[in-house]
Amino acid sequence: MNHSYTIGIDVGGTNTDAALLCDAEVVALIKVPTDHQDLLSSTKEALQTILDHYKGAEPVKLHLSTTLSTNVIAEGRGAPTKVVAVPGPGVNLRSLSFPFSIIELEGYIDHRGREVSPLDMDQVLALRDVCDDGEALAVVGKFSQRNPIHEQQLARELAKWHSGVISLGHRLSGRANFPRRIVTTYLNASIAKHQGDFLKVWEDVQGTDISEIAILKADGGTMTLNDSRERAIESILSGPAASIMGVKALSQCPENNYLIVDIGGTTTDLAAVVDGEVLYERDGATIAGYKTLVPAVLTRSIGLGGDSKVTYEEGLGITIGPQRAGMPVCLGGKHLTPTDAAVALGLASIGEREAAIQGWNTWAETFGIRGEDLARQVLDTFTAQLARAVDDFYRELENMPLYTVHEVLNPPELRPRYIVGLGAPAGVYLPPLAAHLDLPCEVLPFSAGANAIGAAAARTTVGVTLQADTELGRVTIPEMGYQEELHRPLFFDIGKARELAEAKTREYASSLGYDATGEIYIVEEESFQMVRGFRTVGQTHMVRTQLRPEVRKVRGDIK
Amino acid sequence: MTQVGLVFFPAFDWAISPDHPERQERLLYTRDQIQEEGLFDHPSIHEYRPRLATDEEILRTHVVIPSLDQRITESHRIAAGGTIVAADLVVDGLVDRAFALLRPPGHHANRVVHGARGFCVLNNEAVMVDHLRARLGADLKVAIVDTDAHHADGTQDVFYNDPGVLHISLHQDGRTLYPGTGFTSERGGPGAYGQTVNIPLPPGTGDEGMLMVMERVVLPILREWKPDYIINAAGQDNHFSDPITNMSFSAQGYAQLTELLSPDIVVLEGGYSIESALPYINVGLLLALAGLDYSKVQEPIERKNREQGKSITEQVAKVCDEVMDLWQTRSQAHLGEVFGEADFFERRRQIYYDTDNIYESQQEFVRLCSSCAGWRVIYTSSTRNRDPVGVVLLPWKPCPVCTGEAREQYEELTKDERFRQVVWQDPASKFCRCDGTTKT
Repeated sequence: MNHSYTIGIDVGGTNTDAALLCDAEVVALIKVPTDHQDLLSSTKEALQTILDHYKGAEPVKLHLSTTLSTNVIAEGRGAPTKVVAVPGPGVNLRSLSFPFSIIELEGYIDHRGREVSPLDMDQVLALRDVCDDGEALAVVGKFSQRNPIHEQQLARELAKWHSGVISLGHRLSGRANFPRRIVTTYLNASIAKHQGDFLKVWEDVQGTDISEIAILKADGGTMTLNDSRERAIESILSGPAASIMGVKALSQCPENNYLIVDIGGTTTDLAAVVDGEVLYERDGATIAGYKTLVPAVLTRSIGLGGDSKVTYEEGLGITIGPQRAGMPVCLGGKHLTPTDAAVALGLASIGEREAAIQGWNTWAETFGIRGEDLARQVLDTFTAQLARAVDDFYRELENMPLYTVHEVLNPPELRPRYIVGLGAPAGVYLPPLAAHLDLPCEVLPFSAGANAIGAAAARTTVGVTLQADTELGRVTIPEMGYQEELHRPLFFDIGKARELAEAKTREYASSLGYDATGEIYIVEEESFQMVRGFRTVGQTHMVRTQLRPEVRKVRGDIK
Repeated sequence: MTQVGLVFFPAFDWAISPDHPERQERLLYTRDQIQEEGLFDHPSIHEYRPRLATDEEILRTHVVIPSLDQRITESHRIAAGGTIVAADLVVDGLVDRAFALLRPPGHHANRVVHGARGFCVLNNEAVMVDHLRARLGADLKVAIVDTDAHHADGTQDVFYNDPGVLHISLHQDGRTLYPGTGFTSERGGPGAYGQTVNIPLPPGTGDEGMLMVMERVVLPILREWKPDYIINAAGQDNHFSDPITNMSFSAQGYAQLTELLSPDIVVLEGGYSIESALPYINVGLLLALAGLDYSKVQEPIERKNREQGKSITEQVAKVCDEVMDLWQTRSQAHLGEVFGEADFFERRRQIYYDTDNIYESQQEFVRLCSSCAGWRVIYTSSTRNRDPVGVVLLPWKPCPVCTGEAREQYEELTKDERFRQVVWQDPASKFCRCDGTTKT
């Protein structure tokens, strides 16, 4: 019988985790310290270590969640990049103070994708004098997702003399938001070279022990090495997404709405699952202050964790975080932390319990109470603060705008009916939180390695945005650079739009080398009658699809 | 940095009828433009959800015949509720200014509602202003500046006799456009004489004329009256591309108007050039509200041959002089000459509801009172509700005498067999019989 083996590697800030899955079983789970000076070597070390557990003969797939692009952006190490923009009228780009310079060209595409005024070819030719061949170029037009013609014309002209990277806005996202499209395209162009160097290394690995390598994305799906060359930006922030995919793979949760709580040393991250799907950021990921259009799992980070600083203030009482205290007292640190409270109360066994007990006793004396009571109060405060943060999180989600009468009358139910916890200290903090919120809960098996398991269990995600305008007789799918005349626009209704979007999604997936047989679902759709002067002149349809990003279900025990 | 709250509710699933100007598509392109310009996630613009206005909030302002549920749809409740949300954001200090960019509109809805007029059923601004007074007290002074091309006859009707509200409407001359009212001679009832300010503008008035009106009339009046809040009922149909009006404003003009007026709360009214005007006016308006650069906002089509001519400029200047003269002499007017010397001022009106094609007949008596704005009684019937309805209205801050007399009048009407329905409305009371109870 044939088995399917997958390795997932998640490069984290402290450790690099790796998991080996055989079908739905976890075969091995290891971790090595992350080497920030040489990410590649510690990543390869993790791979080698996990491969040592592999005795089979079948080919192994590798799913990599790296911090490479995230780090390049956060540390400002991207390649020199020029943005060539066609903004047309509207918000003055100069007033948006981008941290990079933008060359603005004449030309105007309106909201329907009509070309109001063409590119000025003299300006386009003059670009040659100001762009260096060593630079990466990002080409972005306003409403290019409705009509990419200006970006495509520019790409053709630039390619005549520019041999470096050229990134085009419409290929990266079908969503509206010109400033975010500029940022996304800029970042994508600036990290393309790093991604290329990185890929060279892994291409060598591919074909030896490893049959196939895929890169994890911020939405929790994967993409091929080759695809990641064009769309490097999608590999940012894959770490949090890997953990969420780990929850989806491992959790026994019977509910469709649940809360995911990832408790760490410094922070606790929250994510929400609604109707069985993880909630995504409305517009896209934010990275190092840059707002992008990259589809990403919506997570919110709270400065509350096992190593948070515990403070007492007259009148305010005990507060925890958001600063980190450093090592807990039980591990030889100077400041008492929630971890020390858990250790002193016998809820966790880390380091020297006596040191923690002593620490609480000494502090408690100043209030004239028992050390044990103080430690318990600290844990209660932790629970109360976390519960408040959870409530704030859902309030924020519940403020997402609604644009139809139907939605206002029947707002989507977002609140959780179940909590899944992960992270090393989840066993200590999750049960009291669940009790406080009166919800059932589950601490994930392999809590500490769920990220690597999630990376391994993740599947390909690919989707497109179809925009059809039957009055103009045109259909556009920006991600594919596809634009065609509609043969019989009168008959192109929303049903036809759905069919075409689905067929095109499969075509796109196959062209990228993906298995395109999975279920395609419609993430979002819109359809409007266009009336001019009391007469219907056409319809406009928008259909956003996705190949269902289902993760593989994984059993909670080691084989 | 000025923080702006945006309550955007395009009602993408609601229309008066499929090809009516008030249809699903109306704010689609505005949404597209705001989204593409990145303004929904601009650091100084914050989007909020609307909510349903409650019965109490609506009936504090309106008398709906025969009942609320029979005359409004949920979308009307959401538009009124969304406008209240916008006002509360400002009052609560969550933002500096707010924009209720929503539909259906409201400024043609009168106090008494038999159906829809000028696409409106509930007066969003009026419901919001009364909500503000219920929250902050009856002494609040609110100015409404209506910049829709159509006269804000509904808002004028609601606040005609209300000393707490200054209502300024600039619009295309009523001799040339629906609803055919809004002349300088309409100056307010005996309790608020001079506080209804109409500025009828000749067809073809452009940015130049509009800015002249702002500088010569609107801003000086506001400086003198010193409102606690300035509300802009922001119709967008003065645009040169609007299909149902004849004005010549541009998106730049609207943005300048917004910057000059610097309103606390903006509420969308009409505007049906949904592709060529609304997306650009709304982007410009949002930028101007937030104090951001709007200099590059421009509509895609040019204003061919629609520049404001010299004769129009002269006409606008004349209107400005006339309105300022009326404003400055408002307290010298002898009310006895305007409203008579009797105990009551009586007015009879025929009101046409164009959207629902019904006629209402109204007879109104306003108590002339030197201590308060005076109580009122309205007898109303329409081609839709032929049985006459009696409405007894108390003003905000009524004097004890008026309260007593109004009470007596109400008791009398409830015993009068000609009226099957009698309504008592006291905006300041939580316990008013403002539900239009039908007698059994």
